[in-house]
Amino acid sequence: MSSRRSRSGPTLNFKAVLLGEGCVGKTSLVLRYMEDKFNPQHLSTLQASFVTKKVTLPDERRAQLNIWDTAGQERFHALGPIYYRGSDGALLVYDITDHDSFQKVKSWVRELKQMRGTEISLIIVGNKTDLEEQRAISYADAFHYAQTVGALYLEASAKENEGVAEIFELLTHLMLERLSQRERETEPASPLRLQALDADDAVSVSDGEQSDGTGTGQRSCCGI
Amino acid sequence: MSTAARPPALRLGQQDLKCRASCGYYGTPQNDGLCSKCFRDRNDKQRKMLKAGDMQPILSGSHSHSHASVSSGGTSDRRSPQHFQVRETPKKQVDKEPDTSTLQKKKFTAVLQKTLQAGAQRIAQQRGYVPDPTESQFVKQLQKLRIPDDGKRKLKSEIQRLDSEIRKYMNSNSSKNIDELSDAVQNTYTKVADIVHNDPRFEIATNEDRESAIDFFEKVVMTQNHKFLFSPYFTTDEESDMKVQKRIRQLSWITSKHLDCSIDEVNAEARDLVYSAISELVGIDSYYSPQEKLQCTVRCCRHIFELLKRATGGPASADDFLPALIFVVLKANPVRLHSNINFVTRFTNASRVMSGEGGYYFTNLCSAIAFIENLNGESLGISKEEFDALMSGQQPFSSPWESALMACESLHLISENMKQMERLQKKNGDISSAIAAFEKELIEFQLEVTERVDTVMAKAPLTLLPIKTPAFLISQARAQLLHEGEAGHYQANVLSGGHSLTVHSGMVKASIPAEESGLALKDTSISSIGRLSPLPNLQQPDNLFASPIFNYAAFDAVSLLEEPSSGGSTDVLMLGAELQGGLTNINYDFDLSDQSGENSTAEEAKLNLEEFDPLAQSSATAAAVEPETSLLDTTMDSLIDSDVPGSCVSLPSPLKPEVANYRGFSNFEIPSISCNTGDFSSLGHDAGPSEGHK
Repeated sequence: MSSRRSRSGPTLNFKAVLLGEGCVGKTSLVLRYMEDKFNPQHLSTLQASFVTKKVTLPDERRAQLNIWDTAGQERFHALGPIYYRGSDGALLVYDITDHDSFQKVKSWVRELKQMRGTEISLIIVGNKTDLEEQRAISYADAFHYAQTVGALYLEASAKENEGVAEIFELLTHLMLERLSQRERETEPASPLRLQALDADDAVSVSDGEQSDGTGTGQRSCCGI
Repeated sequence: MSTAARPPALRLGQQDLKCRASCGYYGTPQNDGLCSKCFRDRNDKQRKMLKAGDMQPILSGSHSHSHASVSSGGTSDRRSPQHFQVRETPKKQVDKEPDTSTLQKKKFTAVLQKTLQAGAQRIAQQRGYVPDPTESQFVKQLQKLRIPDDGKRKLKSEIQRLDSEIRKYMNSNSSKNIDELSDAVQNTYTKVADIVHNDPRFEIATNEDRESAIDFFEKVVMTQNHKFLFSPYFTTDEESDMKVQKRIRQLSWITSKHLDCSIDEVNAEARDLVYSAISELVGIDSYYSPQEKLQCTVRCCRHIFELLKRATGGPASADDFLPALIFVVLKANPVRLHSNINFVTRFTNASRVMSGEGGYYFTNLCSAIAFIENLNGESLGISKEEFDALMSGQQPFSSPWESALMACESLHLISENMKQMERLQKKNGDISSAIAAFEKELIEFQLEVTERVDTVMAKAPLTLLPIKTPAFLISQARAQLLHEGEAGHYQANVLSGGHSLTVHSGMVKASIPAEESGLALKDTSISSIGRLSPLPNLQQPDNLFASPIFNYAAFDAVSLLEEPSSGGSTDVLMLGAELQGGLTNINYDFDLSDQSGENSTAEEAKLNLEEFDPLAQSSATAAAVEPETSLLDTTMDSLIDSDVPGSCVSLPSPLKPEVANYRGFSNFEIPSISCNTGDFSSLGHDAGPSEGHK
């Protein structure tokens, strides 16, 4: 479905969902990202649940990034699949001071893996680094977990505006990678494509189950 | 409804979410819990086997299949049997197979299929609200598209192709599967998008124009085939609609508090926004194309965001939005919810619901519906027992505080309305009193005008010198009139007039003899009085004389002036005696010379009089010759007798001035008409009263 869409026009359309428990700062992250890049006047401040952002890709292509916020309340958890159907990426946000929110992320990851397999780029975001002293999940734990599931791990503070833009930039990059990878898949369909991909690209993307236990997906996390 | 009894529409467990073929994708309840691909594969396989006549194994297979899929479901909601299932399978089996299995349909004999089809056609006819969108409108839109003409032609042919494809599919007798159709349509969309973006015929078009071309394609095809594709008879859309509608009705007790959303139900402003959101949501059903339905959804959601922004003071997040949307859906209970949702999901360009604002809101709407269908006590923060009681209606939901607030708000609204009504009433009173005042003013004005006219008339009496018309001329005119008036109308009038003529003749006769101008003036003054206080006796003659000749009473004024001149000498006294009551109060002596300065008609009259002086003199001589014949009071016979050959051409001029003059006084009619009819004026008596009558 995604590949069909991307071929349909020169403007690429990426869809990313924001998942995470309530009060972990999903909306704050989005607002921070949009406001820093845009004049606040241009931001439709009516709502922060659906934002789009036009980005120019390194290869001069224009892409539109659609970020879909989801309701984080437990009672709406079951509705998740409706949202991440057809999405290219997911930001899994948790609160580093809240252990439960991290558990929630884990359940999201499991679900996403089942639903979308390798089709979706995952980034786990530990928010609220400004509350370092109350931290409940250590960076190492989260990082390790992300590695095992083939996701990337970033930490950010929407309040202090630390690492917010990086999240979305990385996400765009990941989705683009996956797209070109898919496009390559459609042509040669060779089992070797993953290696070729790794050799070619500066930022490689771990590929779902295959990255489990292997080193493919780790590089991207290190610098951040 | 407990968690265990949840319908499979939204499978909450991890296992339920997956495609049962364990391909890694997730399935949908419409597809028997399979993902679309596996479902198609399975259907293909089954179709092949069906063709081979090997029906039984598949069916049993499918049964076990559905058993597995429904193990977690099978609620009373899903149990509602579909009409064809009822006919086909025993009730028990239906319970076990709540899912819309296309396999079921495959079991139908051709006959049953036909009856179903007929039924569907009937339904479609009943629905028949879909007017055939005017082709010309689309043609116009097509012309407006800023793409090359070649591209337009290509686009048009593609539209026709897909159109006929859909119709062909719908009219075919083979078993139908909405997903096949949906796939076909989606593939065509992809193809068209491909053509539009890569075909050389579209080369010069901008990206926006290409997008609008694709949009146009979708819109035309969907609008034209709405009646086939919307809630087709071979799907369970309609049943789902009924189900969700019933469920929402059962959930009517839910308040914003249950959903934990920040909608203030007692705030009038918030309520207005909720209402506008609701009306947009309900309006989705009234559009044909998926795009328009999506736009409607977007508008609805924007209202909700506006609402939330006011309530929370900042941009609303999805955490606030979804509960609010659920609340709105619950309160709106839109018709054919599932049909609309499915129509959009199946037949809009897939990218549309996957990205963009419309897609996001639509997705939210889908989740809201899914939530509504699956919600239980837990998700509303109340106990299962309470939830069940509320659902069954055993326990009416009421929180004293909420009710009090609502009552308070209603009272507030009532008082507001009453204030408004009071204001309106006051306004109304003002208006009616102003009307009364105005009426009074008008009456006063009328009185004043009358009074002033009377005083002026009294102050400036008009003295008219009698104008003598040669008797032979008058008789000529009469003859002429009679001649012309041979037509039924005239005759009848004259005849009818004849009666009263004789009655009044005496009186008229009496009035005529007054040879002096004084007599004439008396008559005019009568007329002016008659206007205010009509003298019934005098009116009749006017009518008589007026109508036969001209059908126009105004001209009788002339005749009045004539009469004295023609009538010559008779007793003035008789007239005086008869009319005394009405006349005594007023000075009837009008003097032309006096008036000349004051009003134009007087001047005119004066001029005319001067002009026709010689005639007047001649008429004076003639008057002596035949006074009786000239008078109308001599009855019809006399008129005929008096027929004297001669040209009536010479007549108009002497009479013209008099007419103008006279009318100026009596009731200000347009003097210009007089000249045409001047000849006949001699026939009329008592012009004054006639005018008064008018």
